Amino acid sequence: MHARQRRWTALTLGLVLLAGGGLAGSLSNSASAQATYEIEPRAPEYLYARTCGYCHGHNIAPIIRGRNLPPAVISSIVRSGMGAMPAFKPTEITDTELEALSEWISQSEADPEEHGQ
Amino acid sequence: MSNGFSRREVMAIGGAVASTAALTPMARARMMPQDMDRDVFAAVVRELRAIVGDDWVFADEASTLSYRKSGIPDLRGEHVPSGAVAPANVEQVQAILAVANRYRLPLWPISTGKNMGYGMATPASSGQMILDLKRMNRILDFDAELGTILVEPGVTYQQIHDYIEDNDLPYWIDVPTVGPIVSMVGNTLERGVGYTPYGDHFFMQCGMEVVLADGTVLKTGMGSIENGNTWQAFKWGYGPYLDGIFTQSNFGVVTKLGMWMMPRPPAYKPFMVRSAEVSDIAAITDAVRPFRMNNLIPNAVMMMGALYQLSMFNRRADIWQEEGPIPEEVIKTLARQNELGMWNTFFALYGTDETIAATEPIIRGAFEAIGGEVLTDAELNGNPYFEHNKALMRGGLTLEEKGLVRWWGRSGGAIAFAPVAPAKGGETQGQTELAIEVMNKWGFDYAPAYVVGSRELHHIIFLMFDKGDDEQSAKAEQCMNEMITRFGERGWAAYRSSVSTMDLVADQYGAANREVNARLKQALDPNHIIAPGKQGIA
Repeated sequence: MHARQRRWTALTLGLVLLAGGGLAGSLSNSASAQATYEIEPRAPEYLYARTCGYCHGHNIAPIIRGRNLPPAVISSIVRSGMGAMPAFKPTEITDTELEALSEWISQSEADPEEHGQ
Repeated sequence: MSNGFSRREVMAIGGAVASTAALTPMARARMMPQDMDRDVFAAVVRELRAIVGDDWVFADEASTLSYRKSGIPDLRGEHVPSGAVAPANVEQVQAILAVANRYRLPLWPISTGKNMGYGMATPASSGQMILDLKRMNRILDFDAELGTILVEPGVTYQQIHDYIEDNDLPYWIDVPTVGPIVSMVGNTLERGVGYTPYGDHFFMQCGMEVVLADGTVLKTGMGSIENGNTWQAFKWGYGPYLDGIFTQSNFGVVTKLGMWMMPRPPAYKPFMVRSAEVSDIAAITDAVRPFRMNNLIPNAVMMMGALYQLSMFNRRADIWQEEGPIPEEVIKTLARQNELGMWNTFFALYGTDETIAATEPIIRGAFEAIGGEVLTDAELNGNPYFEHNKALMRGGLTLEEKGLVRWWGRSGGAIAFAPVAPAKGGETQGQTELAIEVMNKWGFDYAPAYVVGSRELHHIIFLMFDKGDDEQSAKAEQCMNEMITRFGERGWAAYRSSVSTMDLVADQYGAANREVNARLKQALDPNHIIAPGKQGIA
């Protein structure tokens, strides 16, 4: 593939990726761009795997799936960062995404692959 | 495991946060900018909302909470932001700077605000408004032939990793410790380091775009050449090389950054050299140095102290319940049980099977000559401590080192001290002895790692403490100040510091350095609106 063409493809695919696989379309370097997940929220599973799951169920932080934790409690902990956990801002996980993520964690079944404290 | 939160505890704590955010000790999520009346601040907020939209200005207790969180001691509320504003593009950054100049509003730029051990998103002084650049999160360019990338501040290493995977690009990323949630721009501007042959991030940086306080947009290096295409290929440009003055600095707001990516090697072999005694550190350092100078070992070599490693996956109370620091023999026994020595030196070979086979015996011989056990996947596959560094040295994503922050329990706290020194055995021995003396005096455990980059070494000391205990937080602060001071007396200064110790460290670099930085600041940001106090620059 020609370099310029490859570069453009990569650019476009990158946008799709940022949108959690859901947004197609052109991208320019124009100043009007914004984080695409503000337009099309990323799926809870996608966010869990790329953020929460690195610690929770991975020896670093408590297992939170399969425990019916109330969504409102999960959301507040994500925003405030309980104990050693970092806080996650609306610019990292939007309010819309967080609402779905908290609901998903609350209702998700325990993952037998997860382990540890 | 005994230290997991029970469901009841999670609900109780989370419920408290949810319902009484403004009433708990976390209530001091906000502090007004110094010398600014409330009605003026309200006018500022209105103007900022007109620029970025109502949703992206955070100026009340609840919405500012995320920006307030850090793991360092802050007993006097000296690092409390006034709020946050999150632009989506360069034009909005320029407009925000214009407002800040008009009202003398101090702005503290962050990329993702995950500066672990150094204060996360919190500012050097209270009342600064966080300039949150996370929404600017585009990968603007990836040149698949040159292996170069141009990104905005909000782009995380996870994002770049996914991008490479999705596009099947033959490159690796080089991650800092907490890669998945950290910005490539943020870490590089702080001159952070990683684990592959591309581990010196600033060395691998090429070209940046900076918005100055007056709104000027500067592209460094080759970035401003009309019809140019060399911005990410040639670092130095023409005339004075400017990129450096925008790292660890407050001279501008970096909005784009170019980096070189490491070509994925055909073969990769990680190693761990196990050394039994704390006193072995000098011999290890002297064994490592020639291989970093001649590049036979191509990546930054990590000499991990046993306790640094053990604290990732263990809680202190499970190991030691008595007063005072954990005795060396206790650490040694636990290390042995986990197939670790008191120092565990990690490096890797990259290339082809043939080049690795040719190099390995030379390196093996050097470490075996000093009593090290040279171990590989053959002996340690599946050992979580080996797997951790094995992942990092190939740019793998992990947050396991977040476990250090929970060493003392659930309320967590950790502040980093990172002095640098020449990569010589006597230096590591002296630094280790001094760190143990000071930390044990204050009742803390010495959990170290050394990184030999080239001719220098970084000594990474995580001072782990219980942030929920004010008395211990105060001791952590005093211990850190004493360490910085006493190391300074020996000529050892930090390459980076937490927001709480920036003046202290800046003083060690001398009056002339501070004065030159002050003059640059005055010239580029005469109203001192960008991150006052950053690295001791007012």
